[in-house]
Amino acid sequence: MSSPALFLSFNSRIRWSVTLVLAAVLGLAAWYLQYEAQLSFSLLSGAAFGYVIQRSRFCFYCISRDFIERRETRGLLGLLTALALGLVGYHAVFGIFVPDASVGRLPPGAHIGAISWALVFGATAFGLGMALAGSCISAVLYRLGEGAFSGLVVLPSVLLGFLLGFYCWNSVYLQFMQQSPAIWLPAELGYAGSLLVQLTVLALLAALLFRFGRDKAPAAATTYQAIFVTRWPAFVGGILVAVIATLAYLRVAPLGVTAELGSISRSLGSQLSSFPTRFEGLDTMRGCATVVKETLLSNNGVFILALIAGAFAAALPAGDFKPSLPRLRDLPRLIGGGILMGFGAMLALGCTVGVLLSGIMASALSGWIFLLCCSAGLYAGWWLRQR
Amino acid sequence: MSVKTLFSRAGILVLVAVSSWSSIASDFLVSTDWLEKNLQDPKVRLIEVSVNPGVYERGHIAGATNLVWHTDLVDTVKRDIVGKEQFQQLLRKAGVSSDSTVVLYGDTNNWFAAWGAWIFDIYQVPNVKLLDGGRSKWEAEKRPLTIAQKAAKPGNITLGEPDYSLRAGLKDVLEIAEKRSDYGLVDIRSKDEYEGKIFAPAGVQELAVRAGHVPGAVNVPWGSAVAADGSFKSKEELKQLYAAVGIDGSKPVVVYCRIGERSSHTWFALKKILGYDVRNYDGSWTEYGNSVGVPITNVAGTVWGGK
Repeated sequence: MSSPALFLSFNSRIRWSVTLVLAAVLGLAAWYLQYEAQLSFSLLSGAAFGYVIQRSRFCFYCISRDFIERRETRGLLGLLTALALGLVGYHAVFGIFVPDASVGRLPPGAHIGAISWALVFGATAFGLGMALAGSCISAVLYRLGEGAFSGLVVLPSVLLGFLLGFYCWNSVYLQFMQQSPAIWLPAELGYAGSLLVQLTVLALLAALLFRFGRDKAPAAATTYQAIFVTRWPAFVGGILVAVIATLAYLRVAPLGVTAELGSISRSLGSQLSSFPTRFEGLDTMRGCATVVKETLLSNNGVFILALIAGAFAAALPAGDFKPSLPRLRDLPRLIGGGILMGFGAMLALGCTVGVLLSGIMASALSGWIFLLCCSAGLYAGWWLRQR
Repeated sequence: MSVKTLFSRAGILVLVAVSSWSSIASDFLVSTDWLEKNLQDPKVRLIEVSVNPGVYERGHIAGATNLVWHTDLVDTVKRDIVGKEQFQQLLRKAGVSSDSTVVLYGDTNNWFAAWGAWIFDIYQVPNVKLLDGGRSKWEAEKRPLTIAQKAAKPGNITLGEPDYSLRAGLKDVLEIAEKRSDYGLVDIRSKDEYEGKIFAPAGVQELAVRAGHVPGAVNVPWGSAVAADGSFKSKEELKQLYAAVGIDGSKPVVVYCRIGERSSHTWFALKKILGYDVRNYDGSWTEYGNSVGVPITNVAGTVWGGK
């Protein structure tokens, strides 16, 4: 095939030029950071993750709503694909990091959260919040790249939610979390058992979706359109998310998008005189732990910025970049949703990416509990919005 | 032979001596170069002790075993170093035998690797060496890392009774502070901690409720013992550095820091490289600065809890 750019309209060429400039800027930034290998990798993986979730519309709320309202399953099947292959990828890495799962050591950094009422409550609040706000935190970020500036209302509300979470942290921790176990399935079932059991559950979920799904066949498209314009088939997005997640865990840390938001919130909070100066046990908990911001460029901060840039670069040639401002009457819903998400993410120590995706891939029971509770909260929020 | 030739020949001799010295194992230090050449030697047992979790797993020097400082090398219930039985089991599992050469290395300038070396010494493990410059030098020289973990063939080391003459306790340090015993005392923390401007460096949890230092201690921050690439300065430079503050080996020395790990780095320099009689005070400032009734020098006069 000859260069497709020759057949593009003037408008498309401008969009492509911006995308290419953006790609060059990201490449240069990664090159500039080459001596900080983890930062450089975070930047590239963030951009790739942003690109992939934009192209495959990997938005936890949207794909759930598609199913609830129209029995459209391809988004959810994409999520199941990501979880299944991520599980396989993580197990491959675990085999290297912790050769014997039964010795009582947890794999370094993997998001294996504590099982407690705080997780149940936090995940449910998060689900409710994402239904109200219309997207979870990762989707807010990638849709910023599509010009959905309502995210600029949601993100500060998320910070506010985190702030509330910090105020409650000490009592919640001592009441519910201090003695709660972090359950890692390979330690209970062995690597083979953990992989089998979880893949079976995912297969059953997929079978249910096939049974109840009513998907329409996607419109035919040229190769160019299929790659750069129309939404990717669900499994393509799922496969690529699993690849990025596995590589990110191998090289830096599990995927997550709330560590930086939490640490910004904590730094802002520390300006307030009533803000707690100590957070009991927080540094011993697994997940998107929230430390006080000490450096301008953190792995997770770079990841998030690159995610937005990657989504922007993907949205432009696709014609998905459509700048929009939130309507005034939507503000209370967006703010409320953002606060619930921030508060929920603080208690659950992460969100749909950090706890659901990275948690289930890591075979953490906490990831599955988050999936259940977050889905329940999401359904309740969707139901509320119909009233 | 002219004087000129004599000098040039002597020069060559020194060069040869120096370059061959750097490629053989010294008694206590090995160079990155030496290690890479001897990685295949079954007698060499490589052990990583890094501060940060996940560092070893994401890439270590081929053949290295990982020791986790906060569970493997300590008693996790009472504040003490690991017990003999547990440590012996750990070393055997890591493939250490009585005729092994153990090479320790770690991140952040070998802090915990040096602390490990101190514990190995207490249990009288023979032939323990530090990789000079640690992980950072190895990485900076772009030498290879691997993520593959190979279980070592179990070793047969039998540990001796712990040699506590390498360790100083609160009682010993108090005697020095009150001038009842004649020891040199080196505080290796930062100048601000030594002078009592701060209680502990930013971001650390282990605090003391009093600021300052043990009376009579001199301040030589640990970092002054290392060169730009993270390796130890030469023996001559180290000798001058410590002699300048009166630590010249003429009397025994005690080193301390905040929790006893960075001081192991200085302990290693003074004990192993300079051959002085040195003890590490692992209780360090978190014990001394929290003790009731002990004398303290607080130059800055910072008051705990004051506004």
